[in-house]
Amino acid sequence: MTLALQLAVAGLATGSVYALIAIGVVLIFKCSGVVNFAQGAYAMVGAYVSYVLLRTGLPAIVAVLGSMAVLAVFGTLTERLVLRPMLKAPLVAVMMVTLGLLIVSRAACLIVWGPDQIAFPKVFPEGAISAAGIFITYNYVAAGVLALVLSLGFLAFYQFTPIGLQQRCAADNTRAALAIGIHVSNQVSLAWAMSAALAGLAGTLLATLNGLSLDLAGIGMIAFPVIVVGGLSSLAGALIAGLLLGMLQSFTDGLLTPALEEFLREHTSIYSVGALQQVVPYALLVLMLLFRPQGLFGRRGTERV
Amino acid sequence: MALTASDVTIRFGGVVAVNRMALDVLPGEIVGLIGPNGAGKTTFINCLSGTYRPNAGSALWGGDELIGLSPSALLRKGVARTFQNVASLHDLTVLDIAKLGASVRRDRRFGGHLLDFFRSERALEAALTESILAPLELTDVAHKPIQTLSYGRRKAVDLARALAGDPQLLLLDEPVAGLTSHEGMAMAKAVRDVRDRLGCAVIMVEHKMDVVMSTCDRIAVMAAGSKIFEGLPAAVQADAEVRRVYLGEP
Repeated sequence: MTLALQLAVAGLATGSVYALIAIGVVLIFKCSGVVNFAQGAYAMVGAYVSYVLLRTGLPAIVAVLGSMAVLAVFGTLTERLVLRPMLKAPLVAVMMVTLGLLIVSRAACLIVWGPDQIAFPKVFPEGAISAAGIFITYNYVAAGVLALVLSLGFLAFYQFTPIGLQQRCAADNTRAALAIGIHVSNQVSLAWAMSAALAGLAGTLLATLNGLSLDLAGIGMIAFPVIVVGGLSSLAGALIAGLLLGMLQSFTDGLLTPALEEFLREHTSIYSVGALQQVVPYALLVLMLLFRPQGLFGRRGTERV
Repeated sequence: MALTASDVTIRFGGVVAVNRMALDVLPGEIVGLIGPNGAGKTTFINCLSGTYRPNAGSALWGGDELIGLSPSALLRKGVARTFQNVASLHDLTVLDIAKLGASVRRDRRFGGHLLDFFRSERALEAALTESILAPLELTDVAHKPIQTLSYGRRKAVDLARALAGDPQLLLLDEPVAGLTSHEGMAMAKAVRDVRDRLGCAVIMVEHKMDVVMSTCDRIAVMAAGSKIFEGLPAAVQADAEVRRVYLGEP
């Protein structure tokens, strides 16, 4: 029981970081109709920028906010320089361009910081909380709480504020939004800026947990099972599915894998099942697409890609 | 402020849709724009509201040129319009749409936009419900998605959206077309009320003559892109040319 609780808490922490990234993907999808493969690039670049700023000795909060600001600029530039000239291009072409952006960003980071994993400077204090028999480091607590608060804050922003309302209208029906006087192109840029900033923060948080490396770019891929499960057009769905997937991974790692390995060792000569927790999201993706393609919270027939 | 539109001309290929159209509207005045289908009424409204850019002409609004401005810039100058067909929005409720109308109108500088990221508009909801939704009989559906409403009520929502921005110049494109006569009368009354309350200038394109006659202070008649008559409602019905092209002989 204690183990289950421990795993659940750890799962929620990583899950909320996934949610942060997936919310960005959904946000961009809602207003530009593009599935943004470069989300992982934002996360990775965000982590590297945070690293650079932390190394200059800035306080952690300033460094993290600074990195989010840099990423917001990066996101806006992507939209203005890459997406806007391609307004009339087929969506698949635009998505391929975002995939290209991921590859180019990864290569650029490889040139600057090299291929090796870098120890990330301390952002949160050393130590751990132990309560109710479970034991969790401050790193996990802080990353989870921060990501969760930001996700919820973002949903509240989207739901209740005037800008959020204009965002929703622009996402809902671009032509109507234009006609009733919403500056739609600014809203689209804003969506890209916010989604890149959120991904940048998520990347930084992941780097505090697992160290800094180019592999962070792959985290964008985890966003796809998340948004397919949550429904491509639902921000709340992305949050819930992110948490769900984080927990699922954590349980797979902590319970399913040991049980499975024990069983296999007893009955076969197979010794290990490998990193099963990395397979689970994609297995869920396939199942979801087979049985409920609109996701848990999406609308039917939202988009066929 | 008064609107002075002159020489507004727009061509689509070889078709001159609006030809040297001129129209003056004074503050607090409701001007009806009538005419047969294809006369260019909606096209003229589209030129004024930033949807189309006319090939020639000007529309001065208190000294400012309206032509060439985008709908978002026009709204901040107090020029709002409604649409003949109401667009489909899936996610937004009636109250959301009214709030949108209010939020696109506000001209904010010096970080006002930044504040908009964090401000909840809950406080605005009660005021909007009372002053905008209630007169249009929309209070009971305030929290329903617009998609679930009847056509007539959706048009009322569109008007509510335009009114929420406290317009000084209101362009109405067939506000009562397709409505029941009860809904139509409520809509016409709402237009008159808002004119009385805000003192705004109104241009109303409409085919329903009883509504036009009872609502408008002055009527302009268009045919084939040009204005063929302008005058008081009573004079319109007496004019032989207008009877020939539009109203028909009794």
